[in-house]
Amino acid sequence: MSHTDLPRHWRSAAIINGFKDTFAYKSEFVLEFFASAIVPAAIQLLLWYALFKNGNKPDIAGQSYADLIAYTWVSILFSQVRGGNYDFDLAEMIRNGTLSQYLLRPVGAVEFVYFRGLSYKLLIASMCLCIGIIASAFTSITIVRMFGAMFLAFLGNIIAYQLGAALAATAFKWEEAYSVLMVKNLVVQFLSGELVPLYFFPENYSWIWKIFPFHLYVYGPTQYALGKMSHEEFFMNCTQGIGWVLFCWFLVHFTWSRGIKNYASIGG
Amino acid sequence: MIIEVNDLKRSFKSVKKTEGFKAALNLLIKPEYVEHHALKGVSFSIEEGAFIGLIGANGAGKTTLLKILSGLIPPTSGTARVMGIEPFSRTIEFRKSISLVMGQKAQLWWDLPAVDAFELIKSIYQIPKTVYSERLEQLTELLDVKKLLNTQIRRLSLGERMKMELIGAILHWPKVIFLDEPTIGLDVLAAAKLRDFLKIHNQKEKSTIILTSHNMDDIERLCSRVIILKSGEIIYDGNPMGLSEQSEKQLRVRLAIPLTQSELSKLTGISEDQIEVGGETQSGDEGGEVSSDPNSVIFSLKQESVIPTLQILMEKNQVIDVGIEGQSLEKVIKRVYESH
Repeated sequence: MSHTDLPRHWRSAAIINGFKDTFAYKSEFVLEFFASAIVPAAIQLLLWYALFKNGNKPDIAGQSYADLIAYTWVSILFSQVRGGNYDFDLAEMIRNGTLSQYLLRPVGAVEFVYFRGLSYKLLIASMCLCIGIIASAFTSITIVRMFGAMFLAFLGNIIAYQLGAALAATAFKWEEAYSVLMVKNLVVQFLSGELVPLYFFPENYSWIWKIFPFHLYVYGPTQYALGKMSHEEFFMNCTQGIGWVLFCWFLVHFTWSRGIKNYASIGG
Repeated sequence: MIIEVNDLKRSFKSVKKTEGFKAALNLLIKPEYVEHHALKGVSFSIEEGAFIGLIGANGAGKTTLLKILSGLIPPTSGTARVMGIEPFSRTIEFRKSISLVMGQKAQLWWDLPAVDAFELIKSIYQIPKTVYSERLEQLTELLDVKKLLNTQIRRLSLGERMKMELIGAILHWPKVIFLDEPTIGLDVLAAAKLRDFLKIHNQKEKSTIILTSHNMDDIERLCSRVIILKSGEIIYDGNPMGLSEQSEKQLRVRLAIPLTQSELSKLTGISEDQIEVGGETQSGDEGGEVSSDPNSVIFSLKQESVIPTLQILMEKNQVIDVGIEGQSLEKVIKRVYESH
């Protein structure tokens, strides 16, 4: 067999198909992207306005009105990369038996579902990166920091999926795993810095968000892009992120190898 | 032997749900569990290249058996070996050599054309490009779907989709193919095309195929051996022709003078429930009017009773017309099912 006769790797093929799938409904993609970004941003902007303008406060937690506005706009870019309901998809597949088709293929089911949805995230990340690069022409954001921040956000994306997949494995034993994932999402929204910046936490309680990896999803990348995190801290965060990816890899392996024994492959 | 199954058992535990508010509260506080035994000690072996029909009513354990053999679920006890491998170990080598097609479950990407899904399958199984092209050409030709390769899956009809599903399932040339109701919901033509294809593929590639179907046409035309399951147990394992031999024949006679059921019973010594008076006759050629004829009688008899019964009838009455028919496989299986 010649080298040219070999097909591309399945991961690349899954990403390519994912792109095609995303573009099958272009307007749905664009609308979803903007709607999911604009609504939370509008709420935050309104909140900052109420606190600063109506409350006549010069700063909150050492941050000016302009700082918080900047945080809101930049955090939107990274919260888009973080998202995705693939863990819900996995739980649903376990519950209704459609996971069977993935289990029979000679590739890991959890990994396959990630790569299948990766193209969507890659597209969003590219769009966010472009917006960030354009913004760098008018703001203090630098292109290097924007790339670094996006790298960190992507590490966050992997961790988010892995933790979701590990939690989705509860569906093997418990049909109502959805509720676990919903609680997880609420905690993530709060502790990732998506709703409010994490420097709002009192110093005594900052350990709460620091012990979880969620701050790597939005807060870390935003702070780095805004130049409020040193390069040393950034590398610390990256190392921490890689550590979490490895830990979560084992966690997914552990939960799924145990859970699969309870898989009933319902239906059919 | 490519498949060996020994004393295979599988049970499922589920929460017992009953009606009413009190029952719903009890379910929260103290749920009651019921155990359902889907397979109760099944044993058989299958030779390489065989085409096996797995028959049984809903809930007989067919799909559970396929799921165990394909490695989706483990058995509660007993052993199963497919190509010498314990299926639930789901080794890469095992997954590359099998395929399971479930008629009710779609495996292809809904919003993409089939060809994109096949490209992904090519990459998953690392099928060389030239081999892939040859196989795709051959399969699409056989199933007559070549011109539909670039159509979105969701825009295809059920039959076309099923054909695409089948192509996707066997592009990697599996040694063992499990087919769970592949012709479900298909029209007569599509089902026939699918059957022809399966037959050719089995003969040409020597792949072992296990098929479950409620459609007896599938079983009759394709399978050299049938395994009948009832409530998780095998009640018949053998040649489908063997079933017909064991079964009753239908002796159709047309008498010159009509007789009632009881008169015929007295005359022949055959019980009344085996005699049907007033069978249907057709006037003229094909397409003629079908009407009930009081002179026409159908006897359901064991093979050895056919000639003696006919002799008695000919001695005592003038027989105008005679015909002997075997029962349809569907009826035979129904009888086997009822007698167990």
